[in-house]
Amino acid sequence: MNDAFVLPTRFGAQGLGGCYAPETLMQPLLDLEAAFRAALDDPGFQAELKAELRHFVGRPTPLTPAPRLAAKLGLKALYLKREDLAHTGAHKINNALAQALLARRMGRTEIIAETGAGQHGVATAAACARLGLRCTVYMGVTDMARQAPNVARMRLFGATVRPVEAGQGTLKEAVNEALRAWAGHCTEAHYILGSALGPHPFPTLVRSFQTVIGEEARAQVFEQAGALPEAVVACAGGGSNGLGLLIPFAGDGLRRMAVEAGGHGRALGEHAARLDGGRMGVLHGCRTLLLQDEHGHTAETASVSAGLDYPALGPELAALVLDGKVEVRRASDDEALAAARLLCETEGILPALESSHALALLPALAAEGAATVLLGLSGRGDKDLSTYQSRLEL
Amino acid sequence: MTLNPLLPFLMAGDPSLEALPGLLAEARALGLDAVEVGLPHSDPIADGPVLQAAAHRAIGRGATPRRVLESLAGLTDSPDLILFTYVNPLLQLGLDPLLRLLEPTPVRSLLVVDLPFGEEPGFEAELRAAGYPMVPLLAPTTTSDRAKALLGQRPDPGPGAPFAQRFAYVVARLGVTGAGQGTDLDPVVARVRDLQGITARPLAVGFGLSDPASLRAVRALGATPVIGSALVADLTTGRPIKACLEARLV
Repeated sequence: MNDAFVLPTRFGAQGLGGCYAPETLMQPLLDLEAAFRAALDDPGFQAELKAELRHFVGRPTPLTPAPRLAAKLGLKALYLKREDLAHTGAHKINNALAQALLARRMGRTEIIAETGAGQHGVATAAACARLGLRCTVYMGVTDMARQAPNVARMRLFGATVRPVEAGQGTLKEAVNEALRAWAGHCTEAHYILGSALGPHPFPTLVRSFQTVIGEEARAQVFEQAGALPEAVVACAGGGSNGLGLLIPFAGDGLRRMAVEAGGHGRALGEHAARLDGGRMGVLHGCRTLLLQDEHGHTAETASVSAGLDYPALGPELAALVLDGKVEVRRASDDEALAAARLLCETEGILPALESSHALALLPALAAEGAATVLLGLSGRGDKDLSTYQSRLEL
Repeated sequence: MTLNPLLPFLMAGDPSLEALPGLLAEARALGLDAVEVGLPHSDPIADGPVLQAAAHRAIGRGATPRRVLESLAGLTDSPDLILFTYVNPLLQLGLDPLLRLLEPTPVRSLLVVDLPFGEEPGFEAELRAAGYPMVPLLAPTTTSDRAKALLGQRPDPGPGAPFAQRFAYVVARLGVTGAGQGTDLDPVVARVRDLQGITARPLAVGFGLSDPASLRAVRALGATPVIGSALVADLTTGRPIKACLEARLV
């Protein structure tokens, strides 16, 4: 363990996480940890964040009962935590706004971010516009094509969107390029990483700013149902949404479940399911479950959902899974698309393709005898309309 | 100890693994103490466009870590080698296979870009004990106190050891490899002088420039200039390595 840091850098029995960063970034990461700790202890920062989450983001987001979908699936009750109703349309704004506030507190004037589906990029661009920070977002060219509306939204918010052409042109390459850009500008810029991954302290930072999802949901479900559900379900790309929803239910003795992208097949390169296809490795600064070949080169991934199309599971979530505290399942592209359609038809809610992977687990949960489920609807599906149009022949 | 005048970087497998022994022999004939050999990696987060492209070309031609090390086995007409790599390929090989692959090669140390001291303590200690110390890296953001700590954690084995095992690598500019930011050498000079104030060990300096005058300016400080991206780019055009290096030794 790197004893230069104060917060624990490793997760679980196998010591996932860590800080595998180039030396240029070590001092900025140490500074970031110190600023994060100071902010957590500062009532002024907490009050400012809380006010912004309420008045700008629109928190608390609702917990919506979904009785028609529940009946259709054979569940007694289903509750949807509506992060799709957060400003900019996904849970990503919780972390982006908090980190932007932290960056301003640190005296940083420029923000760098990566984005896959574009939700983190849009959230970061919006937070930067609100706080008067300059923003550059790195995005793979494949993702720019399939999430074009989000590219336009980022540009409207004044951000510069830099296309990344390397490799498959998806989230992994965007993170590579954002890390490189940060190394060149780390004295004036802060890197707002959007997933619970990367070198310490990012995984801890991101999930700390996302657990508001689960904290709210837990109180809301008590209020509405008078009891906790039997299972809590979230989709998992890097793990910001998964950890944000699942961590506050840690002591409750219920099933906590994360759903990965099963893509269109089970061979390496056809999916982004790290649990049964991945091996322990280091990517983007942390040790975790990673889709890779025998040489330690990162494997290609595939998913209809840009936000889940990433070869590594965030280290804290991977540790919870390996230690038996969270269950991981996979949902295929087709299952996710069908689940999205069913939610639209029964409840009038258009989910993001990422969230649709969590929805796709519900038939199996019902078949296993679960009666009450709380599901994290991480984002709205407007950005995915072109995919829905073509794949569902609308 | 006389000054090693230049530390070249070659990407293994670019232009080809077959060409590598010949390139190393040329470097030795020019009297260079050491050469950095890069293991091509799929996600080189600290490298600029030239080395990224070289790594991807090399991977496309089958330059896996195992094949790279096998291509170095038994070389006698080579300078000492510093294996420049990211940590994941080493972890995937595993310690014992890695040591077996290293043993017959001229590799004398490892420069692992994304392995701060303390992240893989057992792995690093075993490699050091087997004769493969990690090169300490000192960045523009490394404070003086941190630099002292890093130099202590990865200590100089002393004057009896070769340059490849003694030197510290100074990243003299912010950013990725090959990123020259203007031609103002003053910050580089100041940085090297600062570090020479806290350590007597040899310093190699990567600073994103490759013109003879800039290289001479680094040598004039008593430090070894690194030439990486510019050399890799030159070799891609088919220019012989002898000419590439001689032009930078004047």
